Amino acid sequence: MSTLTENRAFTRKNFAATLAGGYVPLILATLVVFLPLLWMVLSSFKQPGEIVTTELKFLPESLNLDNYREAMTTVPFGQFFLNSVIVTAVGSTIKVTLAILTAYALVFVDFPYKNAVFVLILVALMVPAQVSILPNYILIAGLGGKNTLWGIILPGLGTAFGTFLLRQHFLTLPGSILEAAELDGAGHWRRLWRIVVPVSVPSIATVGLVTVVSEWNDYIWPLIITDRPESMTLPVGLTLLQNSESNGAGWGILMAGAVLVILPVLVIFAMLQRYIVAGLTQGSVTG
Amino acid sequence: MNQPASNQHLLRRQFLGLSTAVAVGAALAACGGPSTSGGSTAQAAADVDFSGVKPAASFDFWSTHPGKSQDVEKELIAKFQAKHPDIKVNLITGGADYEEIAQKFQTAQAAKSGLPALVVLSDVWWFRYYMNKSIIPMDGLLKQLDFKLDDFRETLVADYGYDGKQWAMPYARSTPLFYYNKDHFKAAGLPDRAPKTWAEFAEWAPKLKAASKARFAFMYPALAGYAGWTLQNNLWGEGGGWSKDWEITADSDANVKALQFAQDSVYKDGWAGVSSKDSADDFAAGIASATLSSTGSLVGVLKNAKFNVGVGFLPGGPASQSPVCPTGGAGLGIPAGVPKEQQLAAATFLKFISEPENTALFSAATGYMPTRKSADMSTVLAKTPQIKTAMDQLAVTRKQDNARVFLPGADQEIAKAAAAILTQKADVKASLGSLKGKLEDIYAKDVKPKLG
Amino acid sequence: MTILDTAPAPSANRPSPRARRGWSPRRRRDFLVFLAFAAPNLLLIAVFTYLPLINNIYYSTLDWTLGSAEATVVGLGNYLTFFTSADAPRVLGTTALFTACTVGGSMLLGLLVALALNAKVRGTTFARAAVFAPYVLSGVGVGLVWLFIFDPGYGVLSWILRAFGATSPEWINDPQLALVMVIVVYVWKNLGYCAVVFLAGLQSLPGDVMEAAALDGAGGVRRFLAISLPLLSPTTFFLLITTMLSSLQAFDLIRIMTPLGNGTSTLIYEAYLQAFGAYNRAGYSAAISVVLFAILLLVTVLQLRFVEKKVHYA
Repeated sequence: MSTLTENRAFTRKNFAATLAGGYVPLILATLVVFLPLLWMVLSSFKQPGEIVTTELKFLPESLNLDNYREAMTTVPFGQFFLNSVIVTAVGSTIKVTLAILTAYALVFVDFPYKNAVFVLILVALMVPAQVSILPNYILIAGLGGKNTLWGIILPGLGTAFGTFLLRQHFLTLPGSILEAAELDGAGHWRRLWRIVVPVSVPSIATVGLVTVVSEWNDYIWPLIITDRPESMTLPVGLTLLQNSESNGAGWGILMAGAVLVILPVLVIFAMLQRYIVAGLTQGSVTG
Repeated sequence: MNQPASNQHLLRRQFLGLSTAVAVGAALAACGGPSTSGGSTAQAAADVDFSGVKPAASFDFWSTHPGKSQDVEKELIAKFQAKHPDIKVNLITGGADYEEIAQKFQTAQAAKSGLPALVVLSDVWWFRYYMNKSIIPMDGLLKQLDFKLDDFRETLVADYGYDGKQWAMPYARSTPLFYYNKDHFKAAGLPDRAPKTWAEFAEWAPKLKAASKARFAFMYPALAGYAGWTLQNNLWGEGGGWSKDWEITADSDANVKALQFAQDSVYKDGWAGVSSKDSADDFAAGIASATLSSTGSLVGVLKNAKFNVGVGFLPGGPASQSPVCPTGGAGLGIPAGVPKEQQLAAATFLKFISEPENTALFSAATGYMPTRKSADMSTVLAKTPQIKTAMDQLAVTRKQDNARVFLPGADQEIAKAAAAILTQKADVKASLGSLKGKLEDIYAKDVKPKLG
Repeated sequence: MTILDTAPAPSANRPSPRARRGWSPRRRRDFLVFLAFAAPNLLLIAVFTYLPLINNIYYSTLDWTLGSAEATVVGLGNYLTFFTSADAPRVLGTTALFTACTVGGSMLLGLLVALALNAKVRGTTFARAAVFAPYVLSGVGVGLVWLFIFDPGYGVLSWILRAFGATSPEWINDPQLALVMVIVVYVWKNLGYCAVVFLAGLQSLPGDVMEAAALDGAGGVRRFLAISLPLLSPTTFFLLITTMLSSLQAFDLIRIMTPLGNGTSTLIYEAYLQAFGAYNRAGYSAAISVVLFAILLLVTVLQLRFVEKKVHYA
């Protein structure tokens, strides 16, 4: 009898512990992330009178798309979106390809100074992007790259980060699988695409997604190199919505703009988060 | 595991290589950056002669669209194009605010490429462009285009004069204006007018707060970008100022008194708040019963406010009741480093938008001052009678102190000092003392050497 | 964890370093392959990272006003000015405070969240994705959203405070609070990254170690501190370095939330403001950038040195 009560108490205690130790922190952490974003979405439907007011209204009066309409007519958001997609797609594809090639060369091709080359790449990681703004502006503007998409893409193409992450991953691959291929007479090119890449898909996906995200979110360089809406990307266009005067009533419009910038990344992330998280995890443990 | 020693060795070797590269790079670098030879390229300083120059077929006009003026700017461009089909104006958003457009303009200047032929410049920026030889004097263009200045409002034009030359023309020009909530004033039993002095308002404030239930009787404008400007009013009223010519007077007794009053209004007496973003919005939302804000906010406030809006002259102080209102806002300048043809085309457009009916059109859309005396404002005033007060106040304005508008970065330093005083309850005398040191430092480092 | 480990090259007859003399056809071929694979990337890095870096070092020796076509050489004058003026303590202090708070905050909270995510309950996959999400969002967008939340006039935070009878602090005007605000948002954006990396570390711990500790009857917290945390030290170190490097380069949030850098001028933002903000001191700005670069390099070198030495035996 006594064992039974004890057992039940234990279960109840266990249940409470699970709740306190398991669910409560989880829910709390999730809310901390979601509430600000929820507030952004709610506010994007609010009219100036609902934001600039003396009493708080949590929910918008209606799901009114005026702010979105305003945001998209004040500045050409459609064009920004297209530009962002092009810059991200082209930039990421090239960057990931270059990273794979360089990392492969650093790990699997024999070359006496490759550690020195790797140090150079590592140091490049330390160069704050902000440092290169002015020199790169002078260079790209001189080449006629101002207000062009290639002008936005080109300076960022050299990739130290992707190379670094992939190299760390390639180092963990067992040498035996490549030796077999070498004995078969496969050249580097085939070894890379037939063996190394297929077994590294999660890592490459991580590098790809991190690259996509950073290209999409990149702000300071596109801000400097573009001044015409035709060639601006979304983050730059978003700041274009901020005007010098009469601004507070514009919060709703700004939030609508923020939704347009944030949502695509959120959707892509939601679909592919498994790869990002798994890949980054791997990178951290092995590298 | 690797031996750390080899890493160190590797790094050292790498650094040796890097320093060699630095030497090589220094030579390479010299072609991209500025010239250090000392031989001055005096293209900007010379009074450029424009006779025989033909205007270019198109030019870039960089604007921040002050006062949400993008639509009216487009309208003006369309009107111009109808009259001058041979000159195309490309309207470009150079930035969201005066700081951003300046950043972009200076970057383009440094790269010597992608420059506009006409650029919006604020009261605190044009002098820097003059010092850097980034803009050309207007005089040659004015002569060429037979562009007369006598119908312009003198103070607005005189603001851009230095060294006997005209460096820019007025565009979106404003002054601060005292905005008040007529309904709140009525409820508090106060007269329907702006206070004559700050002391008078201090008497009104408790009544206003009690009767209106608004959070504040008065809202100080957002400190960033505005503090140095609107506080001129408080300083001048006490007989102080940021500077006298080039002598920095930031910590004078009059200034200490003026800002002590402001600090007390926030902390001791608790009737004033400090806006974080735009006090005109706070006022329009009913958070405060009164505020100072640019005349450029007028049209927006009238649109957003759900109460009767009154406007008046800025309050005076014990030492001076008038003039205590600074001018401000933005002008238009013509950059150096673009072909003469473009400069002339830009000046042609500048002349066009300065014509009385066009400046009236711009004024009606934004609330900025019409720059011409003969501008017909009757239709505008019928619709927005409050603009009349703003125009009348222009007669009693005063040129801003050199320290605010001519010292690079001074506005930011003033804003920081004001933030310390008004939001951190810092000691007024000490804050102004350290501000004075910073301003003197800027003058010695960045301005004095360039004035020769 | 070896950063500079030599590659496990597949070739069985890898020549020892001492034997590297002369270029055999095979070595020449390998060299060409290396070039073909790595050169495009290396060239891009050279032109758009190293060349600007060198240019920047050169600019740092000039007294040059941005926008001006002329400059004078001042040697180390800009560095001297920086370190002897009030700028150095202010900027370095802000940088240290910002870095310490953001690194400490996101790692500590990240660890706590990782422990929560490690619980054997349902829904952790979703929660893991959720807490990671802010890390991938645009700094500009996130900055605007939080700026609106913090806004003392209309922000939801000010409403909540007013509901409790408090007035909203001056998040934007008060320089100290502005720094707090930016730190909070930065931690919000980055703690998910720390959480996920910590989680991976936790899950790679050998299960029998944890079980043994559990059977010993050691309490949860003690067990964690005594056994798991030391075993997590490689992960902790990895995070410490990566978050420190990104904190030192944090730009977008600061730019959007406090454009004038009032109270939030870290090295990178001060460098930006000095050149592109109101002051236009391009040479001085370049000198500050070089100081930042030196610090970043130092952090990395420390990593290279310590990674092998410390972490594994701790």
